[in-house]
Amino acid sequence: MAALAAPTLARRRLKTALHGRLWPFLVPSGLVIGCVLLYPLGYALYLSLFRYELGTNTQEFIFLGNYSALLQEARFWESLARTTGIVLSAVGLEFSLGLAIAYGLYRLTYGVRVFNMLLFLPHIVTPVVAALFLRWIFMGRWGLLSAGLLGLGFFPPDFLGNPFWARITVVLADAWQFTPFMILVLYAGLNTVDQSQIEAAQIDGAGIWTLLFHIMLPAIRPLIVFVLAIRIMDAFRFFDQIYVLTSGGPGTATETITMYTYALAFRLLEIGKASALGVLTLIVSASLIALMIAAIYWRERERI
Amino acid sequence: MRRRAVPQILLFGALAAFTAINLTPILWAFLTSIKQPVDAFSVPPTIIFAPTLEFHTQVWVEKEFWRFLINSAVISISTVTISVSCGTLAAYALSRMRGRSSRMLLFGLLAMRMFPLILLAIPFFVLAKTLGLINTYPAMILALVAINQPFTIWLMRSFFVDVPHELYEAAAIDGCNVWQVFSRVALPMVRPGLGVTALFSLLLSYNEFLFALVLTGPNTKTLPVAIAEYGGEDINYWSLSAAAAVGIMLPIVAFMMALQRHLVRGIALGAVKG
Amino acid sequence: MNKRGMNRRQVIGGAVGLATLAGGAKRARAAGPVQMVSHRYPALEYYAEKMKTAVPGTTVNTQLMPFDKAHELVTIAMSSKSDNIDLFYANDSTFLTYVKNGWLRPLDDLWAKYKQEFQLDDMVDTMMKTYTYNGRLYLVPHTMNSMLLFYRKDVFDQAGKKPPTTIAEYQALAKSFNTPLRAGTIDCLKPVDAGLNEAHWYMNALADGWFDKDWKPIFNSPRGVQAIEALKETTRYAQQGFTTAANDECTIALQQDIAVMGLQWATRAKSMDDPAKSRVVGKIEWAPPPQGKARIASDGYGISAFSKQDPDTLFRILATSSNQTNMRGAASLLVPPRRSLLTDPELKAQNRFYPAALAAIDTGLAFPALPEFYSVGEFITRRVLQAVTGEMPVKAAMDAAATETENFLKGRGYYK
Repeated sequence: MAALAAPTLARRRLKTALHGRLWPFLVPSGLVIGCVLLYPLGYALYLSLFRYELGTNTQEFIFLGNYSALLQEARFWESLARTTGIVLSAVGLEFSLGLAIAYGLYRLTYGVRVFNMLLFLPHIVTPVVAALFLRWIFMGRWGLLSAGLLGLGFFPPDFLGNPFWARITVVLADAWQFTPFMILVLYAGLNTVDQSQIEAAQIDGAGIWTLLFHIMLPAIRPLIVFVLAIRIMDAFRFFDQIYVLTSGGPGTATETITMYTYALAFRLLEIGKASALGVLTLIVSASLIALMIAAIYWRERERI
Repeated sequence: MRRRAVPQILLFGALAAFTAINLTPILWAFLTSIKQPVDAFSVPPTIIFAPTLEFHTQVWVEKEFWRFLINSAVISISTVTISVSCGTLAAYALSRMRGRSSRMLLFGLLAMRMFPLILLAIPFFVLAKTLGLINTYPAMILALVAINQPFTIWLMRSFFVDVPHELYEAAAIDGCNVWQVFSRVALPMVRPGLGVTALFSLLLSYNEFLFALVLTGPNTKTLPVAIAEYGGEDINYWSLSAAAAVGIMLPIVAFMMALQRHLVRGIALGAVKG
Repeated sequence: MNKRGMNRRQVIGGAVGLATLAGGAKRARAAGPVQMVSHRYPALEYYAEKMKTAVPGTTVNTQLMPFDKAHELVTIAMSSKSDNIDLFYANDSTFLTYVKNGWLRPLDDLWAKYKQEFQLDDMVDTMMKTYTYNGRLYLVPHTMNSMLLFYRKDVFDQAGKKPPTTIAEYQALAKSFNTPLRAGTIDCLKPVDAGLNEAHWYMNALADGWFDKDWKPIFNSPRGVQAIEALKETTRYAQQGFTTAANDECTIALQQDIAVMGLQWATRAKSMDDPAKSRVVGKIEWAPPPQGKARIASDGYGISAFSKQDPDTLFRILATSSNQTNMRGAASLLVPPRRSLLTDPELKAQNRFYPAALAAIDTGLAFPALPEFYSVGEFITRRVLQAVTGEMPVKAAMDAAATETENFLKGRGYYK
């Protein structure tokens, strides 16, 4: 026992010494984040406890008043449900499509680099501009899609004006811009899977799909978690495209939490309530990600 | 591993078809930018027309977008340099610290990323105003660096985590001080990762709109803000914004083509271990 | 540069200073160029150019952008009492919000001082009244605008019809002209601005308006509900995508032969005859909106209450851009708010839409003079869209909007 204790103690002392020497490395980043990000974040959190009307600059401390008001509103829960639906559909689509394409690229012998470059292009377009591009495709009657269908003799549905189609359009808009991100990362991940493992499986007679789902995907699980987490977070904050494409409409079919936050902050000028909504968004986002991580590692837990 | 010819052709065809559909919005925007408005939004779509470069020249010369490109370039390059530097240092430290404090820091960083950006616009503005930094480069650069840190640190950390401990121990035995261990051992091993992180940082800072709207002024206006100013009220404006939008993509595409080689290898080597 | 004296700067000075030196900071000017922020459409672009050369020796930096972005920017800057915007745009509706929040400088003193030099008496009275709040003037009028009925004369002639004079007639005509390939009419219901425009016409022509004299909502009265039902009926013959269509999309619909008629701003009239933009050159005519009471609006520019520039200079800039010569140059792009130009026969001949525009102004109504109208417009347009798309019955939607509006206004101190 004593023999074991000494190395452990020494290791811990080494660890503390190491940490002590490494803290300076955190200073530049910490300085920037502390001075630039923490103040606005803290201020926004602080404001969420007030009734703050931007125009007249009146403030009134109401502690959790904003939060309770929001949690009792139908508008909050409805937009939350809608947002969750859109986020899950979009990220699901991006992941499946991204994986399929990444795997296809993995098995392709010629032209992989060219495809990678071309497929990444939609991700480069500035989001405000991407929204405009997509509007020119989906707008009723003269958008490319509708006009094209009309030219061929079909009568197209109203992609932005019909609630069902509007939701699909919004999901497609998100997928268009962010599937490239998935493709790039998943493709790289697939490339790191140990060749020996693959060859062993192939000798055992594994087909291409078994190879993918039973060998390769489990091997890159941390990468999948990382990429899904990032996408869920960002999809929750998705704003520009919805604002330009449907403005939350038709009716309220695509009104998401972020659109409601925007309306609260810039149209109703209720900054306190908007900040509270921001905090709630953060909580929901974090919970979803936690659930996702739990789901992915669930089988592992059972084995343990 | 032998791959048979017929499935390869099918695969190539499928990917090509998908890519073509995927690029349609961009291609259509490009076509819009060289058409007269009456043809750009017609029903049925006009395929045969007399192209014009008037909108492109208008955008870059008359509307002085070249000026905004300079602003965007200065801000983006500064942001990437500072952000990747600071982030890499922090990521190195966090990759070697395995205690609870480091994990809390990491999750705190992630949480910061989940907060809606639009709510930070006003406090940022107030802060910048107080320091007299509106319409200056530092305001935008600092804001972008700060916003960028969480993602940068997480990504770089995952590269550092792959560096084998033995290398650190060997370097310590060789008598390297803390900085030398970092610069001579860790940094060279994550070089591909730096390229990837730089690319994503560049994309973020180049395309950022809301903060640019709030923090920049006439002297420091960036391209996204300039483009958004032509959002509506006259079809001519739409043709202009199409021309501008297509134009501003080019610098990034060029940058990507230069960095292409490192991209895939970089992500492959790093982010796998999460 | 950053060693001046303020303690706050020294505290954060380290990192900031480094970046400042590295980035080559350009200091925000103390008393340099005048900063102007505005909405963007052709008439305002014209005025912005005139402002740049208005006062020799003074540089004016103009920033034009879509309406809501300009509004956001002004809101953010003014709410923190910043001095980095000197002149900004407001229309008859947002100006009330700005005044109530104390963001605009009253102009009475300057107006009186420069009345002679710039013939300010020539400005139309209704405009002056619109821009006056609690007895004080706050904006220099630059444009007037009214909604007009745009219609395809060729299509009407072929069917032997004349422009409608009542909303019922208008709906019947829209129905008869409606085909799958070309809609009977246009509707522009994008929240908040465009949606409020359309609803405003129906609410005033078919019902009793938005509010009573105590600012209690009356738009959910039986007549109000009927008015929105009528709006819902019209949308059956409107172009695809009308729930997200704002002025642009509606204009394109008319220019591309996608719709036969509809209400749009007079400022869009000229572009109907521009061959680079329109396929229906010479085919569109204009009439006043059936039953009148459609929206009339106006755009103007005001001086920031927090600007550190010389007020006289700022006023001279605005007065110059809106003087008779300059406004005349823009006459085809808008309806000039100067009597001398409105009654000028040459201008009337040049601009085919003038007679209809003038008639519309006579019978039109501006938005209610409620500073929070734009904010409650958020509730109203949302509920109207829910009603129109069938998400909710019209009565329930209007009642919900009325409740939300009342609660909001109560929270802002009304109904004491």
